[in-house]
Amino acid sequence: MKKDTGRALSLSVYTEIGFLPMCTSFVEHGALAFGLDERGATALTLAVEEIFSYLCRISSPDRWVTIRSSSRRYYNLVEISCPVQDFDMRLFNLTARVSAEDETALEQMGLLIASRFVDRLNVTQGPDNGILLSLVKEKSYPEADQILTMQPKELSRFSLIRPKPELLKIITTAIKAHYPPFLFPKAFLYPGKVVDMVEGGEYEAMAATGLDGSVGGALLWHWVSEKTVECFGPYLFGQAKGSAMSEELMEACIGAIAKSPALGLVSLLPTDELPREHFEDLGTLTLFDEKGNGTALTAYFRQMHEDPGAYSWCHPELEHFLRSQYGRLAMPREILFVKDLGETKSPFSVLSADLERSGNKATIRPVRSGKDMQENLIGHLDLLRNESLKNVFFVMDLGIPWQTEFTHPLLQSGFLPRVVVPYGGEGDQVIFQLGA
Amino acid sequence: MHAPPLDRLVPEYIKRFEPYIPSKPDNELKKLYGCSRILRLNNNENPLGPPPASRDVIDEFPPPAASVYPSGDAYYLRYKLAEKFGLHPDQFLVGNGANEVITFVIKAFCQEGDNIVTADKTFAVYEWVAEFSGFEARLVPLKDFGFDDAGMLRAIDNRTKLIFVCNPNNPTGNYWNREKLLRFLDAVDGRQIVVLDEAYFEFVEKEDFPDGMALMESYPNLVVFRTFSKMYALAGLRIGYLAGSREVVDIIRRTCVVYSVNSLAQQAALAALEDGEHIIRTRQLVREGRRFLERELGRLELAFVSGEGNYLMLRLPMSDTLAYRKLMARGVMIRSMTGFRFPNYIRITISHMEAMEAFIEALEAILDEMPRKGS
Repeated sequence: MKKDTGRALSLSVYTEIGFLPMCTSFVEHGALAFGLDERGATALTLAVEEIFSYLCRISSPDRWVTIRSSSRRYYNLVEISCPVQDFDMRLFNLTARVSAEDETALEQMGLLIASRFVDRLNVTQGPDNGILLSLVKEKSYPEADQILTMQPKELSRFSLIRPKPELLKIITTAIKAHYPPFLFPKAFLYPGKVVDMVEGGEYEAMAATGLDGSVGGALLWHWVSEKTVECFGPYLFGQAKGSAMSEELMEACIGAIAKSPALGLVSLLPTDELPREHFEDLGTLTLFDEKGNGTALTAYFRQMHEDPGAYSWCHPELEHFLRSQYGRLAMPREILFVKDLGETKSPFSVLSADLERSGNKATIRPVRSGKDMQENLIGHLDLLRNESLKNVFFVMDLGIPWQTEFTHPLLQSGFLPRVVVPYGGEGDQVIFQLGA
Repeated sequence: MHAPPLDRLVPEYIKRFEPYIPSKPDNELKKLYGCSRILRLNNNENPLGPPPASRDVIDEFPPPAASVYPSGDAYYLRYKLAEKFGLHPDQFLVGNGANEVITFVIKAFCQEGDNIVTADKTFAVYEWVAEFSGFEARLVPLKDFGFDDAGMLRAIDNRTKLIFVCNPNNPTGNYWNREKLLRFLDAVDGRQIVVLDEAYFEFVEKEDFPDGMALMESYPNLVVFRTFSKMYALAGLRIGYLAGSREVVDIIRRTCVVYSVNSLAQQAALAALEDGEHIIRTRQLVREGRRFLERELGRLELAFVSGEGNYLMLRLPMSDTLAYRKLMARGVMIRSMTGFRFPNYIRITISHMEAMEAFIEALEAILDEMPRKGS
C-alpha cells in the first residue's frame, strides 16, 4: 500500500504579486532542504513563480492560495490549492488565456509554461470542490552503471525475497540490460531512483534468488489509484523458457495485495514472461516513440475480488464498444444512459492534463463538462501537438455520469476507445487514445 | 454541520483495512449476470437443509415469541452440548455464528503489541479480526496445503497470545491427525491459547482425525470452535459455539455480547443435535459428490486438492475471478480463491449430483471458450 513518507511544509498567502518573493523563496529553500539539486530547485521555483503570477493576474489581491511542499524521497511535490469560489475554473485549462488581447501571447499561458519546468504537472479537483495544482520535480540520479551488471545463470532452486537496496540496483541494471525500453518505466534506468521508490513505499519489489544470492528474476509493482495496482515484469535473467519463476513471482505479488483494497491488478508493459493465465486481455494501446514508430502493447488485467456487479454510465455513441467489451470480458454491468433533458449547462468545460514529458505522453481527464467541450478539447490537442507529445490519452470514468458527455467531442476529435479498465476510477474507466 | 475529521478520528489500522463486501442477494445477481437460476456452490452450505427436527422447530416457531428476548447465554443449548460432549455447561459459549466467537477470543486475550499466529492460506476471519482490532496476524505459509506446525512454532514469540489452527483446513481440506496435533500442543506447552477451528468436524470420517472436545481435560489452553452453519445447515440463523476449560471460557465470557443469538437459532440448534441420521445422509452425499468431481476433474486434466470437509479446491488455467464471472453467467456460483491467496484456484461446495453435473458442464464450457495456446 502506498505510504506517505513525506515531510511537508505549507504557506498560505494572498494572491498579490508582492508576495511572489516569499513564495519562490519558500519553494526554493524547501526544495534544496528536501534534497533537490540547485538546478532542480530552480526549475521548480520558476514553475511556481509562473503559476503564482498567473493566479495574481486572474484574481483579485484579497484572495489566497495555499502552497504545500513535501519530500517523497525521489521527488519534491508542490501542491497549490485554491478554494473553488475564488477562481473561475475554466482558467485552469491549459488553453486558458487571460483576455482576448493576449490571445497570441504564449507567455500568458502560465500553466503550460510551468509544465515545462517540472516532470509532471497535474490540475485536478481538490478538497471541498477546490482546484489542486500538483507539480512534481524529481531528483537527478545517475544512469545504471554497467559495473553492477551480473552474469545471469539458471537457478535450479530459488527463494523469493524482498530485495534490499544493493540487490535492487543490480536488478534494475539487469532489467535495462535484458529488456527493451518499452517494457519497463523510464525510472528503471536509474537504479538509485528505484531504490528510493521502494524504500519510500511507493513501489514494492520481489526477487527470486539462488542459494548463493544470485538473482534469477524480479517483479515490481505500485499503486496507481486507490483501487488499482500496476505491475512490471516479471523480468527473468538467464532462466530457461517456461521457468516456474515467473509464475511464483506473480503469485507472490498477488498474495501481497490479495487482502488489500486493490480491486484490480494491471500490466500495461507485459513481458513475454507474464503468466497470461493469471490475466485477462483488456485490449491494446499503441505507444509511439519520438520518431512516430508505434508499438502495440496489450493491457492485461486481473480482478482481485469476485465482481459484485456495477452500473456504468454511457453515451449512446459508446454503447457498442462498451457492450462488446463487457460481453467479451463477462463483466456484469448495467448500462445507464446520460440524457440531455434541457437542463442548464455550464458554458465552460474544464480539463486536467497530466503531462509526462519523459514518457512522451499526455493524459487528459475531465474536471467539468460544459457547452464548449469540443472547442476546449481541440485547444488542448493543438497545444499538445506543439509540445510534440506523441501519445495522447483521455481517461473517462463511467462511474461519473457527466464525464460521458465528452464522448461525442472525443470521437469527433479523432480519439478512439481502446480499453476498459474495470473499477479503474469510481466506476470502470475507458481509455481513449488519439489517432491510434 | 462539518464533516467529521475522519483522518484524525480513525485509527491507522482501520484505515489500512478493506471492508469485506458480501455477495449481492441472489435476485440481484441473477439480473446482473443474466441467469435464470443460481446454484450456490460458494459458501459450503449443506444442500440437504437443516435436519428434520430443526425444520419442525422453525415451522412451529410461534410469532409472538419473536417479541421476547432470547436466553442471554443460550442456557438450554449449553446444557445439551455439555451432555453431548461430557463437559460442564460453563465450558461452552454460544455466539452469533463462529465468526462472533472468534472476535470474543481475540478481544479477551490480545492487547496492544500482541500477535496471533495462523496460516497464510486459511479461513480469513482470524486474520481479519486481529488486523482490524489493531493486532498483528503472523501468517505462516502452508506446507503441502496443510498447516506447518514447525513454522508456526517458530513464529511464536512472547507477545503471541493465540494460535489458530483450522482443522480440517478451509479451503484445502488438509488436516492434522491426532498425533500431530498432540505433538504441537505439547510443544506449545500451555504458553498460548490454541484455538482449534473444527467448523467442518462433522464431515470428517477419517479415523485418525482428532476430536478437540476430548482433549480439553489434558490441554486446558485448548479452545475448540464448532458451528451449526455447515453440517446442520443453520447458516441463515447464525449460530456457533466454542468450548474450553472453565477458567479460559470464564475469561472469554467477559467479552461476550449477551442476547446476540436469537431464540429460533437456539431452539433449532438444540433440535439439530438430536438428529444423527442427518449427518449420515450428508456424509453420503459428500462422498458421492466428491467421487464424481474427482473423476470429472481428472478427465478435464485439472489439478485439484481434495481433502476433508464438504468442499474441494481446483486449479484453473485462467484467472479465478474471471472464472467466477463466467460461471455466474451460467448460473453457477463458486468461491474464487484469490482472496485466500490461492490465485487461479476456485473452491466448490460439494452438493447434489444435479448441481455437480451443472458445475462440470459450465466449467467445460468456459474452458472451451479459452483461446487455444499459440492462437
